[in-house]
Parts: sequence; structure tokens; C-alpha cells
Amino acid sequence: MTRYVLRRLAWALFVVWAALSLVFVLVHGVGDPAAATLGPRAGAEQLREFRRKHGLDRPLLEQYARYVAGVVRGDLGTSFRDEQPVSRVIATRLPRTLLLGALALAFELVIGLGLGIFAALRRNTIWDTGTVALTFVGISAPTFVTGLVFLYVFAFLYGWFPVGGYGVDALDHLRHAILPAFTLAIFGAATYARLMRSEMVEVLGSDYVRTARAKGASRLRAALAHAARNAMLPVVVLVGLQLSTLVSGAIITEQIYAWPGMGRLAFEAISALDAPLVLGVVLVTAATVQAGNLLADIAIAALDPRVRMTG
Amino acid sequence: MMDPRAWRRFRRNRGAIVGLALVGLVNAVAWIGPAFAPFDPSEQLEGGTDPQTGAPVPPGTHLAGRGTLWLGADEVGRDELSRLLAGTRISLLVAFGATLLAVALGVLIGILAGYAGGPTDTVAMRSIDLLQSLPFLLVAIALNRVIDRPDLWVLCLVMGGLSWTTLARVMRAKTLQVRELEYVQAARALGAPAARLLLRHVLPNAIQPALVLGTTLVAQMIIFESAMSYLGLGVRPPTPSLGSMLHSGQQWLTHQPVLVLAPSALIVATVFGFNLLGEGLRDVLDPKD
Repeated sequence: MTRYVLRRLAWALFVVWAALSLVFVLVHGVGDPAAATLGPRAGAEQLREFRRKHGLDRPLLEQYARYVAGVVRGDLGTSFRDEQPVSRVIATRLPRTLLLGALALAFELVIGLGLGIFAALRRNTIWDTGTVALTFVGISAPTFVTGLVFLYVFAFLYGWFPVGGYGVDALDHLRHAILPAFTLAIFGAATYARLMRSEMVEVLGSDYVRTARAKGASRLRAALAHAARNAMLPVVVLVGLQLSTLVSGAIITEQIYAWPGMGRLAFEAISALDAPLVLGVVLVTAATVQAGNLLADIAIAALDPRVRMTG
Repeated sequence: MMDPRAWRRFRRNRGAIVGLALVGLVNAVAWIGPAFAPFDPSEQLEGGTDPQTGAPVPPGTHLAGRGTLWLGADEVGRDELSRLLAGTRISLLVAFGATLLAVALGVLIGILAGYAGGPTDTVAMRSIDLLQSLPFLLVAIALNRVIDRPDLWVLCLVMGGLSWTTLARVMRAKTLQVRELEYVQAARALGAPAARLLLRHVLPNAIQPALVLGTTLVAQMIIFESAMSYLGLGVRPPTPSLGSMLHSGQQWLTHQPVLVLAPSALIVATVFGFNLLGEGLRDVLDPKD
């Protein structure tokens, strides 16, 4: 098990490094951050001065070596635009996205598992068909569509929620987070509902559930205490794999609701081609994605010894 | 390749029929629709925006001597309906282009990896792992921002080049399966060259999963394109696409919601249609699963 975890960890580190290097080559090798930051009206002298100041006039390999050495020391450089340390910018933005992600995950699990169990218990009735159709709409409606529609209906028409923004204190942050978190949760909720339904249908037909019923457990108790517990295993694994989408998928949602988290930061940084900021965001995002996948893989290996042999 | 009973199964599959109808409808909008567009989609109409407030005129506004703007004007006074028709065409074009590229890459790489085995296989599979682990949208918008050519071909290349991995995995598994079949082993023992084995025995088995995955891939590409264009880093203005129309329409969300709702409806209909059709094809072509 330890060897498996170590090998998996090495791979995760490799992926983070590869993502960082790929984006480094993209931003510094293909793009021109100096021109992007200073705008089209910058003179040749200004550009030269900017490049000299930020070391952009050095050979690409040297810039790369310097950047990686900095990252290893924990120094992510300073943003081109406002000269702020990248690590400080990320430290203010990341908790906001984590709040959004945590709330979205709660919505996903409550709605997803609830609908999945409900549909499985009402199998082959109109309720089941309706739920399955609903989840199909859920996986087909992209966040920018649901986000804009929710914003219009629930924030503007009904005024139940604020029209975007972050709020001023803890309770206000939460109030502002509900609509974006719900938007972010729809796809995951629909995915979990579909998986939970099919798992439940399978488990409900198994011998041990029949035994539980025969021993006098009520239908609901057999379904929840006996069947749902086992049906949830694959869902838990999927949650680990999907955690990453809550971080990277927040780009669109945060853009719609003007939520100043990592997703919006990523978008701003890429639009402005603010190289140190782009790389910092990619580093943190890739690391989060890998951490989620790693946890999921370890969970799978812990649950299923066969994976350890082959993986 | 296709079971003659498949069509009968297909007709009985309600989801697949609805999917096919939606896909047909959206394609009609995209390919035939622009011929009936009441206006030039890029013409800023005189009287398209309110001279005082600058707001786009509402749906149903009649411009004397020009015709009626059934869905009103967009933020700079162009006919929304005509733009919607043209935008659907662009979105489908990009999605189909990217899907074709992804399917071609996926089938090719998957089959070669599965057939060759050994180091080729290892390299291919690890590259797929790597590509699937990258923060997808982030890399895509960074790529498109850096290339910075508002060119539909570039967009297709970026999207297709990042989306072939799932299909390649399936193709590889399928190839490994077929390679061990007795009649393929027999053909190999008789000295059939590799190219012939791949073309005659492996490729035909690849068609069904490619069809199913390709159909759902179109849905994903529609979302992908709209997401990038919504962020302003996909199809760039003034070219209309469903995503870029959302991008420019959202500033008028409260005054003129049709500018957001109309492209949204078309996106959802398209994605829903291709997803249903893909799911239906899976049921029909592979009843075992």
C-alpha cells in the first residue's frame, strides 16, 4: 500500500510539474507578456525596460530555471500588473473559492443522493422517469446558461438573492455564495443522482437486502441503512475525482456572479497575460486537482485490494 | 457493421428519437436558417438602438421600410434573430470540426497504442493520463489567449487537440480485445500484414464506439466552445456564436433578457439533443451494456 501511495504521489507531482511547464512555455515562449501588460501603445523603449526589469530578456531556459527554483523555495514571484506577491493574491482568493466549492459539494450530495435514492425506490414509475429526465437536463445545461438564468430569475425578478458580488461579512458572504454554489452544483448533483440510482437499483436486488427485509427491517430502513450505505461507495470515489471540477469549474460561475475567487483570478490573469499570476493559478489549481485525484485513488485502493496489484 | 435490427430498436427508443429530432431541428436552424434571415447579421441597423438610452430595441420592433426585428436588436443594434441563426451555424461548425479532429486522433492513437503494445502503448497511455489531469478550461483559454488569432480553425485545433483522450482509451481497449480474437490471430498466423489487419479487422470494430462517443463529444464541444466564447476567449466579436452572444448579451440581462435566453435555449437544446442521441445510439448499438 505504501509503495502504491508513493508511486501515485510521484505521478501527481509529475503532472503538476508538467502542467506548470506547459503553461510556462505557452505564456513565455509563445505569448508576449510584456506587450500584453503594457498594451498596444507601448513604445519600444518601454517594452525593453519592462522586459529587462522582469528578466524577460533572458533566454527562455534561464527564465524557466529561475522560476522553478523560486517555486521550490515557495516564491511565486510578483504580479506584473500591480506588483503584488502572487502568493499573497492567491492566499486571499483561494479561501473564497473553497467556500463556494464546499457549499456546492454539500448541495451536490444532498440533492444528488436524495434524488438517486428516491428514483431507485420509485423504480419504473413516472417519478423515476421524471427524475432521470431531470438529471439529463442537469448534465446538459452548462453553468453559464443556468447561472445567467438563475441570476435573472432568482436575483433580479424575485430578489431572493443578491445580484452577484462577495458581500461584507461572514453571513453576507454565505448569502452571496448560495446562488453561485447552487449553479456550480447542478452538474455534480445530476451526475451523482444518476450513479446513485443505478447503484441503488443493483444493491436493492441483492440477497443481503432481501435478508434484512426478511428479518423485519422496514422498507425504508432496508433501503437507507443497508442498501444506500453500499451504493454510496462508488459515489464517494467519484466525489474525490470531481472535487477538481469545483475548483477549475468555478471560472465560469465566478465570472457570472462576480465572485472574486480563484476562477475569476485565473480569467483575469490569462486575459491580461500576467505571467507570474497565470503560472501561480495553474500551479495551485493543478495541485488541487491532483490532491483530489490522489485521495480518490487511495480510497479506491483501500476499498479494493485488486487495484493495488495492477495500478 | 450495423445490425439490421438496430434501426427497429432505435425507433422504439423514445430518448433517441427525441434526440434525433432535436439534432435535426438545430441543424436545420444552422444550415438552412441563415438563408431566411431577415437581415444581414453584421449590419448595425439604423433605429436598432434607442437614440436616447442606447438600449437595444425590444422584440417585435418594426423598422419602417426594413422589416420586423422579431427578437429585437442586440447591444449595438443588429438583428438578434439573424445573428442567432448565423451564430448557431458557427457554433455547430466549430463543434463538428473539433469533434472530427478529436475522433480522428482518438481512433488513430487508440488503435496504434493497443495494436503496437510495449513502449508505444505506455507512452500513449501516460500522455492520456497527463492530458486528462490538466486543468482543462484553464489550459484551453490560456492556449487560445496566447495564440491570439480569432480564427475558427485555431479554435477547432485547440478544442479537438485536448479532447481525444476518452475515445483513445476506448479504442485501445477495443483493439486489445479484437487482437486476441481467434480469427484475427488466424489471419495473423497466415501472414496478413499489420496494415491489413488493422483496416479489415480492427477498424470496423471501432466504428460503433466512435459513433457513440463522437455524438456525445459534439455536445461537449458545444459547451466547450460556448464556455470559451462566453469568457471572450473563443469565437471573438463581431463573429456571432452562441457563446459570444451570451457574452455580449449579459450586460442587458435585466433590460432585454431575450438576448441571454434565446442563445441559452439553443445551447441547451443542442447539447440535450446530442446527449440524448448519443445515449440512444449506445443502447441501440450495444444492447449488452
